[in-house]
Amino acid sequence: MAGFLLILISAIFFPGIILRTKSIASGRKGPGVFQPVRDASLLLKKGSVFSTTTGLIFQIAPVITLSTIVCAIMVIPFANQTALISFEGDFVFFSYMLALGRFFAIISALDTGSSFEGMGASREAFFSMLIEPAFFILIAAFSMFTGFTSFSDIFSHFFITGNHYVLIYSIIGFYVFIQTALIENSRLPVDDPKTHLELTMIHEVMILDNSGFDKALIHIGTWLKFAIYGSLMYNVIVPSGWNIFLQILLFLGVQSLFAVIVGLLESFRARNKMNKNPKFILSVSAIAMIAFVIILILTHKLNQ
Amino acid sequence: MVIYLIVLFVVTLVYFASAERLVTYIRLIGAQGLLLCGIALFELREVNTINMIFIVSETIAFKAFLIPYLLNSIIRASGVTKVHRQAIPGFYLLIFSVLALIISVLLADSLVNPFVNTIYMTIALFSLFTGLLLIVTHKLIISHLIGFLIMENAVFVFSLAVGNEMPVLINIGILLDIFVGVLILGFFGLRLKPHTNELTILKD
Repeated sequence: MAGFLLILISAIFFPGIILRTKSIASGRKGPGVFQPVRDASLLLKKGSVFSTTTGLIFQIAPVITLSTIVCAIMVIPFANQTALISFEGDFVFFSYMLALGRFFAIISALDTGSSFEGMGASREAFFSMLIEPAFFILIAAFSMFTGFTSFSDIFSHFFITGNHYVLIYSIIGFYVFIQTALIENSRLPVDDPKTHLELTMIHEVMILDNSGFDKALIHIGTWLKFAIYGSLMYNVIVPSGWNIFLQILLFLGVQSLFAVIVGLLESFRARNKMNKNPKFILSVSAIAMIAFVIILILTHKLNQ
Repeated sequence: MVIYLIVLFVVTLVYFASAERLVTYIRLIGAQGLLLCGIALFELREVNTINMIFIVSETIAFKAFLIPYLLNSIIRASGVTKVHRQAIPGFYLLIFSVLALIISVLLADSLVNPFVNTIYMTIALFSLFTGLLLIVTHKLIISHLIGFLIMENAVFVFSLAVGNEMPVLINIGILLDIFVGVLILGFFGLRLKPHTNELTILKD
């Protein structure tokens, strides 16, 4: 339960920290940390406007997307506590809950009948498809390393397996989770959330027709997804057996660090050309594959 | 410690598949030289001191500095900065590279024996396949040369795998370094014409 609450709390601060980092990096005074929350609460008070070309799918998609993300949070463990929902192979459940949310976001974009939104939906589906192997290869590697197939067991046994090379897996895991989070949330270098041209958009173009309450739900979903990946990163770099209060502080520290990294990336990095994105995303899978091979060799799984 | 260097070495090999600028290739070749020097330092414990000093100094001088310097000179002289536009897109090259990694693991596993270190064998095979892929999929002669350098690094890694038992193999690997140095110098002497359009071309 603590993990679930911590993810919700860190999600509130996440977009604000990104905004503050970007403001400081560009020398502007900028909005406060809670400005995105204020914007979202304003949107939540408003009603939604639906185009006459849209149907039921468009109206229910934001709620389904948010609920799938909340379900996915429930399988993420914190410290040595078991997650709210934990079972063998729950990482598959986690990944496909997020995929289900994305599926509804995509068909809701197609439901509007806009050619721009269809284009964005196609790109989102393609990039998500390319990043999926990276996540699965990495978790498969961790699963092979620890001998368990649920998030709670994998992360609670991650640092106590007695393997001296766990730091390599931590670093690679941290890197792959950062890249996965950036790609899944359509941030730089794959997509720019602040872009103004529909032709170059990916995620933003899909939600052009959403307004008011629905738009707030989509924004909240994005913050939660960031916090989920921040939580996964935390789990691969901090041993689960440490003191719980220290763990809470470290958790908030890692989430803040992740938000600062995202803010700095968005301040100083240019966006990829659209045709370079598939290669960039595939290279993340290749890094995950390296982790898999290294674990395969170092744990002598092949020679058995 | 050596395992960290090996992981970095593999990352540079994957990077080769996604890079598009020749300057990046040259930096990666230089980085591989330094990594191989580190790996040799940590791995070769049973080699005598003089031989060790020779191996380390040769690796740094040739692999990390001289060869990258010569390649840089070729790029500056020819004005070629990017790989040929008819080269296979990096996306497919990355897929082939990952496949090569899997094949290397399976091949090294099937060739396992007590005298050869499996991880070195895997990395050597992966390096060999990456070099071959670069040669097969690129059109410029400089890319071919870099592919050959990667294969030469593969030979060096393989000689490290059996280096403690057969130190002479490492010295043979070093002879290959010198051969590559001479080959690159030959580029200056040969004055290859642009657009020869035979087996390989110098310019895009």
